[in-house]
Amino acid sequence: MSLIEFSAQRRFDSITIDASFTADAGVTALFGASGAGKTTVVNMLAGLERPDSGRIVVGGMVLFDSDQGVNLAPEHRRLGYVFQEDRLFPHFSVARNLTYGGKGGYTKDRPVDMGLVTKLLGLAHLLDRRPATLSGGEKQRVAIGRALLANPAILLMDEPMAALDATRRAEILPFLEQMREQLDIPIVYVSHNVDEVLRLADTMVVMGEGETKASGPVAEILSRIDLRQWTGIHDAGTVITATVGDQADDGLTALKFNGGALQVARLHLTPGRQVRLRIHAKDVSLALEKPNKISVLNIFPGKILEVSQTKGAQADVRVDIGGASWPVPIWAQVTKRSATDLGLAPGTKVFALVKALAVDREDIGPGPNTGHS
Amino acid sequence: MTPVEIEALRLSLKVALWAVGVSLPFGVLVAWLLARREFPGKLLLDGIVHLPLVVPPVAVGYLLLVVLGRNGAVGGWLYDWFGITLIFTWKGAAVAAGVMAFPLMVRAIRLSMEAVDARLETAARTLGASPLRVFLGITLPLIAPGILAGVVLAFARSLGEFGATITFVSNIPGQTRTLPLALYSVMQTPGGEDAAVRLVLISIALALAAIFASEIIARRLTARLTGKKPRRGR
Amino acid sequence: MSFRFLKTALVSAALVLGSLPAIAQETVVIFAAASTTTAMDELMDQFEAAHPGVDLRASYAASSILARQITSGAPAHIFLSASPQWMAYATERGTIDEASRFDLVSNQLVLVAAPGAQMDVTIGPGFPLVEALDGGRLAMGDPDHVPAGIYGRQALESLGVWTATEPLVARTMDVRGALALVERGEAVAGIVYATDATLVDGLTVVGTFPADSHGAIVYPVAAVAGTGTEASGAFLEFLKSNQAAEVFARHGFGPA
Repeated sequence: MSLIEFSAQRRFDSITIDASFTADAGVTALFGASGAGKTTVVNMLAGLERPDSGRIVVGGMVLFDSDQGVNLAPEHRRLGYVFQEDRLFPHFSVARNLTYGGKGGYTKDRPVDMGLVTKLLGLAHLLDRRPATLSGGEKQRVAIGRALLANPAILLMDEPMAALDATRRAEILPFLEQMREQLDIPIVYVSHNVDEVLRLADTMVVMGEGETKASGPVAEILSRIDLRQWTGIHDAGTVITATVGDQADDGLTALKFNGGALQVARLHLTPGRQVRLRIHAKDVSLALEKPNKISVLNIFPGKILEVSQTKGAQADVRVDIGGASWPVPIWAQVTKRSATDLGLAPGTKVFALVKALAVDREDIGPGPNTGHS
Repeated sequence: MTPVEIEALRLSLKVALWAVGVSLPFGVLVAWLLARREFPGKLLLDGIVHLPLVVPPVAVGYLLLVVLGRNGAVGGWLYDWFGITLIFTWKGAAVAAGVMAFPLMVRAIRLSMEAVDARLETAARTLGASPLRVFLGITLPLIAPGILAGVVLAFARSLGEFGATITFVSNIPGQTRTLPLALYSVMQTPGGEDAAVRLVLISIALALAAIFASEIIARRLTARLTGKKPRRGR
Repeated sequence: MSFRFLKTALVSAALVLGSLPAIAQETVVIFAAASTTTAMDELMDQFEAAHPGVDLRASYAASSILARQITSGAPAHIFLSASPQWMAYATERGTIDEASRFDLVSNQLVLVAAPGAQMDVTIGPGFPLVEALDGGRLAMGDPDHVPAGIYGRQALESLGVWTATEPLVARTMDVRGALALVERGEAVAGIVYATDATLVDGLTVVGTFPADSHGAIVYPVAAVAGTGTEASGAFLEFLKSNQAAEVFARHGFGPA
């Protein structure tokens, strides 16, 4: 049985919601364009919006069931919610904001400890301050801490970084990654930002026009081009899992995967760690013969699986560069003209070329099940 | 000050304090209903609450007479079941003052409630707080300045209430002869100018005192709410 | 809109406006004691019907209020007071055209009881009013300034029962207020003009106060100084007529 079972339908004036998905422990990303209905789904989970019909179960507790007439009030659902705006209580100090959820709110057993959360989110020096005197990033961190300290069964986050600028976002993302690793609370994370999803999420649910279009592991979902219209990711790409290998002196790190080793510009990662990385299709070139005397370091032999003609000048080509035991399909984007000239078709043996410098920090996220002790 | 003036002052204070004190919980409740809830008949409630503002005070007084007098629908019940008589007593004067001041109180509180971000209240709910706890811990402290404004306005209005009072409870020395009624009497009496001036000065002094007190309290409240020190005005 | 149309419209408007004085509405403002309301309304209707160019407006209130307003410059043409006292007040302050003053009608003071109230008393010296009230209140205009209240106190004083009755008095802003209290049964009894008692059904007139127990309730009427117009003069004359007297009598007033 899954940790989260969600199924809900409701008709609004502007949109009809019909969403279903299940999720297990870890971070589940609710992904989609604005207006896709993601916030509504989270609000239904929270009890702030009421579906016309459906069934919502979290951790074995039935939150909503239209057939049985069950509809728990938000304060009885044992969840924590981090909104886009911090929504801190202006007349309380930071410390009092943080502990609000604990008083008579949820149960008294508190495995989520104030000291841990304060340290995790870097709030120790802010405890006596008032929200009005904090910066945007600090406020959002307090909001996250407050939700955690309510000892929720699950944490909901609705684009918590949408209201922050790039610097603040860069500041908070590491905190969230740490949180994900050190705490055992499942998280539902709404976002329309691929980078955030890549770095934080394990499962991904894609929504469009009020419906759930697909759900599954992040790597798989992000690699599917049939979901492009919902994900808004028009540059195709592939997400593969690799293990961090040696760091060479000349500034390159080897990422080992089933098709060989991918050289990338040095990353500060611990060797042996598993990571997820995204290879943009437009950074992948194809050749019928193995080129030599070429600057590209990453050259992988492979076989074409499919050639997909899109509108415009480009063609998306799917190539399996994996070894004998395990396929590793990646996307390459070439011009239609080249595809025709080279006679690219399923079954053709090709070489895939990936520039080492094309893969950057933004494209790298944690591997599956990293850090859950 | 003459005995008449002292009595009028004492009575005015008593009537105004009771009027505001008793109507405050209702004021908060009605303001909350109008600010936060949707329900059939909401527009009607809004209209009824505002009636004393737009209808002649004497008309309101007459309505009170019909409903709350000893022979009135509610007044008769109050007398039969609780032995309470409102007409011809300071309690009736307090009711008249409270009714006339009610719309002012509700407006001020409702305005401040609408200014409080309802999203804060939602956030509190998601943290496990019951609606009551949200109201007491979040809403109430944040609307405190608005409640204060409503109370001061209502108090001042009660102090000055005349038309509804004299029509409902008439002028009874010692029971209902508040400052405005006493003032009216001496104004109508030839040679009463000196007394009139004194009563006017007393009324003004009272009003100023109320405003002054509320200003000080408001500043303290705002400082506590935002954690900032109040700036000294120029 | 063409310029030609505009010109035609302007000329037409000017012609119409210029011819208005020929069918002018003349307004006469009358300040009258509240107790004369129904009688005066009827008289004004009659006068307006006979004089189409005149628009009569009346403001009814306690004579004390009206006198104060007139001496403060209120735009009245005629003042009808329920007591000579307040007419004298206005005259002293130079706001009355003394030559136009005359006594219009008279009234009597009655004791009325609320519907269903038992008041078995005969008005006379030392009569048991307090006992008859039996803890209830006596409604009357404020004896400090409302004419009906002043007459009422005079009557009760001369009958020797004022001191005992005073604590039980409910003082109202005008006679109509006292009437309302008795009509609703909130006050057990009230002192009002004889003319008021006829207005409400169900009121029992317990008795009439002897004319010599109080000052003569005479209603003087006069023009406000410096405001005399043809229409206001005509109305004052009308008030002296037999036709007017008949209307007043029908409403319970006596001759001046």
